[in-house]
Amino acid sequence: MTAESKAKKQRAALIAAAVLFIVSAVWCGYLLFRQSGRQVEIISDGRVLYTLDLDREADREITVEYEGRKNVIAIEDHDIFMKEAECPDHTCIKTGRLGSAGVPIVCLPNKLMIRFKAGTDSAENGGVDAAA
Amino acid sequence: MRQRKKIDTRRLTRLALLTAAALIIFVIELQIPNPVPIPGIKLGLANIITVYAVYHFKPAEVVMLLLVRIFFGSVYGGNVSAMIFSLSGGLLCLAGMLLLKRMIDEDHIWLASVFGAVLHNLGQTVAAVFVMKTLAVMGYLPFLIFAGCIAGAFTGFSAQLIIRRLPKEK
Repeated sequence: MTAESKAKKQRAALIAAAVLFIVSAVWCGYLLFRQSGRQVEIISDGRVLYTLDLDREADREITVEYEGRKNVIAIEDHDIFMKEAECPDHTCIKTGRLGSAGVPIVCLPNKLMIRFKAGTDSAENGGVDAAA
Repeated sequence: MRQRKKIDTRRLTRLALLTAAALIIFVIELQIPNPVPIPGIKLGLANIITVYAVYHFKPAEVVMLLLVRIFFGSVYGGNVSAMIFSLSGGLLCLAGMLLLKRMIDEDHIWLASVFGAVLHNLGQTVAAVFVMKTLAVMGYLPFLIFAGCIAGAFTGFSAQLIIRRLPKEK
């Protein structure tokens, strides 16, 4: 390979990396600031266990078990979050309250996920209308 | 070097030493609290060793290093169930970097490292889709790509700083 073609390929790689960085940054921003609906799904091991409307839910706690390990999900002031988790990392607790459509609460070790139901937020409905 | 089939002792020792160093870095990083509340995002400092090895060892040797690192890393970290994510991410990252090595020279190792990190996080996400049995975890992908760019550049630049200080080998 000549030095020149190598330099050219390297420049292409640099541009590709820059594009990747910018596109993912914009995409993240879009997901974070997108308005979400209030329908929430609790999914365990690929199955939807609960579908809740946060606006109508009173404060309560839901316990979900997977292979003997417990997760405690709490609803407070119409917000939902992971209160306790029997797993090594507790990433799901640190995620805090379920805030935006793009960032579900996930507990990988216990295969549990809390997310806003797809298709209930305004942005996605708008997308469907535009396509139809 | 003599026969190609035999791995010589010098090389084997250096490989073992690198694996040990990678494990030490890995365990130290475990002690640093992770500020990002998204599963799968971390600096991945042990990959300083991986990117170095990609440019200085044969593919099979790097695969050995990585597999041993991942196995013992998961055991020491006390989170063996997370090994599937490290494996799928690590192997995809390695495959990509071994190809990129032909395009990107060692002076731009940080660039190869960025792609490696992004591929690692992509592999991880694909594994998560299978583990969680839902495509919804793909929602994290943009965050993982963004974080991969930053973490990859950081570990890549770290590797470059070290390589510059190492005595030239053969």
